[in-house]
Amino acid sequence: MAIRTRDKDRSQILFIAPAILWLLTFTLFPLLYSLYLSLHGSRFLRVTHFVGLENYRMVLTDYRFWQAFRVTLTFVVVNVAATTVVGLLLALLFNHPIKGIRLFRTFSTIPLFAAPVAVGYICQILFYEEGGPINNLLVTLGANGINWISHPFWAKVAVCLADVWQWTPFAFLVLLAALQSVPDELYEAAVLDTTSSWQTFMHVTLPMIRHALVTVVLLRTVEAFKIFDLSFALTNGGPGLATRTLTFNVYTTGLRDQNLGEATAIAFLLMTLVLAVTFVFFRIYRGQYD
Amino acid sequence: MYRPQMPLWKRVLMSIAMVIATVWLIFPIYWAVITSLKKPADVFKLSFIPFVQFRPTLENWQTELTLRAKEVFGGLSTSFIVAISAAAVALAIGTLAGYGLARFRYQRWKNKDIAMWILSQRFLPPAATVIPFFLMMRKFGLIDSPLALILVNVTFTIPFTVMILRDAFGELPLELEESALVDGCTPFQTLVWIALPLVAPALVSAAIISFAFTWNEFLFAFILTYSKATPMTVIIAGTQDVQGVQFWYVSTRMLTAVIPPTILAMAIQRYIVRGLTLGAVKG
Repeated sequence: MAIRTRDKDRSQILFIAPAILWLLTFTLFPLLYSLYLSLHGSRFLRVTHFVGLENYRMVLTDYRFWQAFRVTLTFVVVNVAATTVVGLLLALLFNHPIKGIRLFRTFSTIPLFAAPVAVGYICQILFYEEGGPINNLLVTLGANGINWISHPFWAKVAVCLADVWQWTPFAFLVLLAALQSVPDELYEAAVLDTTSSWQTFMHVTLPMIRHALVTVVLLRTVEAFKIFDLSFALTNGGPGLATRTLTFNVYTTGLRDQNLGEATAIAFLLMTLVLAVTFVFFRIYRGQYD
Repeated sequence: MYRPQMPLWKRVLMSIAMVIATVWLIFPIYWAVITSLKKPADVFKLSFIPFVQFRPTLENWQTELTLRAKEVFGGLSTSFIVAISAAAVALAIGTLAGYGLARFRYQRWKNKDIAMWILSQRFLPPAATVIPFFLMMRKFGLIDSPLALILVNVTFTIPFTVMILRDAFGELPLELEESALVDGCTPFQTLVWIALPLVAPALVSAAIISFAFTWNEFLFAFILTYSKATPMTVIIAGTQDVQGVQFWYVSTRMLTAVIPPTILAMAIQRYIVRGLTLGAVKG
């Protein structure tokens, strides 16, 4: 709804100008600079000469890139699926006037606002192989301890578990809010019309929360592509390259190995991937952010 | 909310489920708390209950807050300065843009497209700009300066403040603002004197969300600072290398880092869903 003002467009533009100028300076300009860097060679963090697509060729033929690519995709798929499904189940389960739900919702915000890097270190304590509580518990129960940090597979599992712990509350809170905005009358009508609660879910609940569900999957996907802090703190990308994500590779290539060209090339490939995914989302679900 | 009569057994099962979910939610934090209260000899034992299973001690916290205080307080004060400044700037920019998008109809681009463009910043992986940002800050001599962190975090939190405030302004009735305009207020005066006080809760929520995201940011802080301007996230990342597996100290640090944003976030329950989905889902 627009307000009627006597001023012309000129003063109105001043309202959005700071936001737009800020993002042009600190997002668009760095992106263009990044594109420039990815087409140039570098030495000791200084740009040298134009090399065309050489950096991209080097990156795309580097096994470390493809390893990080696989790790990133694995994290995205596993974490998005797990947080969404568990969050949805919890939201459905707790969408009733039960005691303690308000307190539970308050607790749910704790992981969301805890720094991922701190969560990573706390999980390092939990997953510690010799005397950490999880392995201690497993041993007490008569099982063998798991090599959470030193085994490539279990290290990935540990990072995923930490991420799922941190972000399931996001899916839960958003989907619970969506469920609670479904009018009661709809359910009452549905209960009269259909026989099973599964049918009620498929034909009444799901369409009503579809918008929220799509939002959760979209935002979780975008966030999961950014994973760096967690594997940095929990496993330091290891063992070997087992938990190195693409963001991790940008950091190691650019600032540890000081190869600006290849680092920005990786960053550009990662960005293209994420933007392609979000583009597809918005094509399918128009009007998600109207 | 759907409120059919539930049989007793269902309610009991539900309570059990809630207890399990709560334990799962709280356990890592709880473990960090009790680890921070354990003597080194007790840390690697499976004991959960202070006083019953082990004798708690405040020694770790004492060491943390006296001998190691310089590092911790340095990190905390940088984090507070950066997070408060970034939240303030992002809030100012977000208020203006949010009001503009809610109340005016822009001609050249559609409001929806401007909002989408601002929003898309949130979809961008931060890794995409970290290298050029590092070089830019080095050029300006801002490496290891809080200002660099403020600049980057304002960039990251603008989408939150803009979207939260756009929705908040959009939900206000038009009449008040229109009569202010008729009385001769400029649009800017109308925003400041009429609309702004009415969206106070949204302002607080946007500020807290920006604060928390800035407080928790790690990648850029890690790359842009190394000694003078290291915020809490970078300090805790350093703890490890120095201390090995001294988990009793690690846990005190982690808790110190986690407490401020989580406590603040509990104050804005009502806005969390809307805030974190950038307005896509109304909580």
